[in-house]
Amino acid sequence: MGIKRFHYARDVEEALSLLAAYEGRGALLAGGVDLARGLAPEVEGLIDVTTAGLAGISADGGGLRVGATTTLEAIRRSQEAQGYLGGFLAKVMGHVATLPLRNMATLGGAVVSAHPWADIPTALVALGAEAVWQNEELTEKASVEELYRRPFRAIFRRALLTEVRFPAWDGAFAFEKVARNAGDIALINCACGLGLDGEGKIAWARVAIGATPHRAKRLTAVEDFLTDEAPSEELWAEAAHKMKTEVEVGDDMRASAEWRRSAAAAIVRRALDRAAKGVTGDA
Amino acid sequence: MKVVGKNVRKVDGIALVTGQPVFTLDVTPPGAVVGKILRSPHAHAEIVRIDTSKAEELPGVLCILHHGNVPRTPYTTAGQGWPEPSPYDSFLFDRKVRFVGDRVAAVAATSEEIADEALRLIEVEYRQLPAVLVPEEAIGPGAPVIHDEEESRGIHDPQHNVAAAIDIRVGDIERGFTESDVVVETTCEFPYVQHVPLESHCVVAYLDEEDRLVIRSATQVPFHVRRIVARALGVPLSRIRVIKPRIGGGFGTKQEIILEDVAAALALRTRRPVVMKYSRAEEFVAARTRHPMKIRIKLGAKRDGTIHAIEMDVLSNTGAYGTHSLTVLSNVGSKTLPLYNKAPHLWFHGKAVYTNLPVAGAYRGYGATQGYFALEVAVDELAEKLGMDPLKLRLANHIRAGETSPIFEKIGEGRAGKAQVVKSCALEECIREGAKRIGWKEKHGKKTSEGRWVHGVGMALSMQGSGITDIDMAAATIVMNEDGSFRLLVGATDLGTGSDTILAQIAAETLGVAVEAISVYSSDTDFTPFDTGAYASSTTYVSGGAVLRAAQEARRRILEVAAAILGEPPESLDLEEGHAVSRGTGKKVPLSEVGHRAMYVTDQRHIIATASFVAPESPPPFAAFFAEVAVDVETGVVRVVKFVAAADCGMPINPALAEGQLEGAIVQGIGHTLYEELLFSPRGRVRNPNLFDYRIPTAADVPDIEVVLIPSDEPTGPYGAKSIGEIGINGPAPAIANAIYDAIGVRLYRIPFTPERVLKALHGKSMG
Repeated sequence: MGIKRFHYARDVEEALSLLAAYEGRGALLAGGVDLARGLAPEVEGLIDVTTAGLAGISADGGGLRVGATTTLEAIRRSQEAQGYLGGFLAKVMGHVATLPLRNMATLGGAVVSAHPWADIPTALVALGAEAVWQNEELTEKASVEELYRRPFRAIFRRALLTEVRFPAWDGAFAFEKVARNAGDIALINCACGLGLDGEGKIAWARVAIGATPHRAKRLTAVEDFLTDEAPSEELWAEAAHKMKTEVEVGDDMRASAEWRRSAAAAIVRRALDRAAKGVTGDA
Repeated sequence: MKVVGKNVRKVDGIALVTGQPVFTLDVTPPGAVVGKILRSPHAHAEIVRIDTSKAEELPGVLCILHHGNVPRTPYTTAGQGWPEPSPYDSFLFDRKVRFVGDRVAAVAATSEEIADEALRLIEVEYRQLPAVLVPEEAIGPGAPVIHDEEESRGIHDPQHNVAAAIDIRVGDIERGFTESDVVVETTCEFPYVQHVPLESHCVVAYLDEEDRLVIRSATQVPFHVRRIVARALGVPLSRIRVIKPRIGGGFGTKQEIILEDVAAALALRTRRPVVMKYSRAEEFVAARTRHPMKIRIKLGAKRDGTIHAIEMDVLSNTGAYGTHSLTVLSNVGSKTLPLYNKAPHLWFHGKAVYTNLPVAGAYRGYGATQGYFALEVAVDELAEKLGMDPLKLRLANHIRAGETSPIFEKIGEGRAGKAQVVKSCALEECIREGAKRIGWKEKHGKKTSEGRWVHGVGMALSMQGSGITDIDMAAATIVMNEDGSFRLLVGATDLGTGSDTILAQIAAETLGVAVEAISVYSSDTDFTPFDTGAYASSTTYVSGGAVLRAAQEARRRILEVAAAILGEPPESLDLEEGHAVSRGTGKKVPLSEVGHRAMYVTDQRHIIATASFVAPESPPPFAAFFAEVAVDVETGVVRVVKFVAAADCGMPINPALAEGQLEGAIVQGIGHTLYEELLFSPRGRVRNPNLFDYRIPTAADVPDIEVVLIPSDEPTGPYGAKSIGEIGINGPAPAIANAIYDAIGVRLYRIPFTPERVLKALHGKSMG
């Protein structure tokens, strides 16, 4: 009953072997935010992975690599993240929780916890970010979007997320969120990205919506609708309308499906407009 | 004035910010054990069987209390004066549970873990009863009777779940509406909201070396705790001592005896010190809330804008117990209707109804907050119907100094009130100053758009009281030390408001010394004189009145001694800068010499003075509130762009602290208005008993708030002061509702104004 032992993992291998040894009664600890919210009663051992050398941010061509135990605040402040996509990812971090929590919470934790209401998965799905994880036998990787289609909770019972890789994009992204107050989780959120071709038409579009209240998803129908079109206010309005018909929304105690449908359309239109203007801030 | 009216530093400020062990649970007596409460999983059930044998066998469990082994004495948990206006409908533990979270049993154990395990091992067999969660259904035919026990007393109509009722008529309401040229009628709803003090309810209870029961508690009402625990446990009052250390906020929820009785019972049974504290979840479920209300209001006015008739019909939900049910209900009318005293025809009626939901109680604003939401939204509608600027309509109707209202006499503290003429009122200046600062003339009725954000402005007025007339009594003792410094002993309860500081300022001003020369001690029922406690906006006015009188008496005694030293008559002496000074000759003697002589040298005596003050009336503070909002018409998000409050609290004793009270109350009110609400499952369980799902404003949410104090001189108040603690919370809901209407032309009648509700209202309008 309750925590009996606490370990500092010196590296990934040690973390993994400890995790395996606990046979389901161990838990990895990074920021500890989610563990503090609700630790499974069967957990007897905590394995601190912040000592495993997984924190760090580095530019990777036009992309970015972020170690799993990098805190959200470290990303928000990092030069490398601010240089990636006009600081899009860094700014998303500013939407998440409060400073004290951002100083604890890690990117890896956000990916693995994958809360349906969370902001980071929405941004990561839109960005086509790739998760890299390791278990005792091998290293695997998949896009975050793909990962969420797999039984990822089972995967991470015996694996450790080590890194998230962000690809280079020729274009811009924008993030939008509606919450009740500062530091709150989203009632709905979205991340949209656009790139233009030589003729000023939309070469690619990425549209992800989260907190619907389901986990972040891309809306490829909206993306396809936008591709090859010329950016305009009217196009965003039409995309928003498409959004309204395509998006799967539901009720929870925070908001109704009906409101989410309207709000989803509104924030997607805004995000597309801002992305098109190359504006990635709070403008 | 040397000290009063100055922003002196909070006397407890340094101890608080340096983390000194000043709060209830900062110090635990050796050998303390932990008390925990088992709570009901059902909204309404009878306890058929309770078996504690397994729990008792657990090593470390010292005692388990439940209805089978404690006295069954009905009492009220409301820490109010005497006679207690709330029904005696609570028991230490009962055979019945009346809401999800109601007390079933309590455990004392040597550790928190053992106590938790013991709670799990208590076997309880319930017979579930039909529950009623909706006030309208609770008073409808065939509703389950929530208080069917014989022993309860003071319930208005237990068979129909009516805890309290009120029906006050002035003039002839039917005629009033017939004679009116314009009539508006509207219904506003206030949901369940919780106080969320930083420090939850907590207590340490132990037996001292003489076997007296000592209760160290985070309470707003130490003397009521003593009286109520004595009653509930059948212990003589003389055997109980209550100590109130620093308090980490209360807002009314600590005007309740909800933990002291259990901790005391466990301490008496185990003879060990018992520590108890509410978790945040317990705070949401089993502390107290504001009374949710549905208020239907009807206003009639003459064509010229004179308000001629007001009807207020209140349905208040008191939850499972009737604590503060009558007095909060009364306050909905008594604190609102006098504001528009031109109306000769009034009808104020309502019921406070039991339901199988958490218990409502005292909460800053105390019914006035709910009342003003309805009244000030209705006044806005009336202005529109009259084609008048709502500001002008309010100016034409509000009460002024020298005026009265029949309501003062009709409604008191659970009984008739007392006639009162308003002696100080700067409301007109408050309205004008606030209007200037928000830019009323430029902005009202001229909504502007910034993309999807549409801006509007709205306003609301409010008054409150200062203490409870003829009931609230405070006493203070001033003790002079031989070095010319003083101790100020008060039963008044500083719950973070800064009252110790302003009481020291009143004493210092009167004694001609700096605040640093006064050591304030509050409160300990063994060592400080009586005070009804910190509620009803009473401390500055009532406790301050007592301090002023005690200081005046101490001053008289000091001057006697100083006169002997200086060889001059006492009447010719003043107290200034730590000296007694002759107005005629300029001769002076330091207070240290006065104190030394009185204590050790000649005609020895200890200069001590005690005085009491009973509120002879309840002079209202006044305020005008103005909100500028921006509404996102695509998502329904409402943003408060700017909030202005201009308030008349008489002469502010410490302007910075008064402004802080106003700002804090406004922020709390904005929380109510935009996002706070307890949600319930169909079976009465609170769905969001945590700060993740129940949002309160944080520093990052505070908009641009401008507060301005417009002084008036209240002749009955200490140095002209009136109250400021509560009034600020009455403004945000109606001012923001009216501003939203100004922006988007949609009226909202139910807080919180969530994006969902705003958008739905907008869509409803466009469809209509």
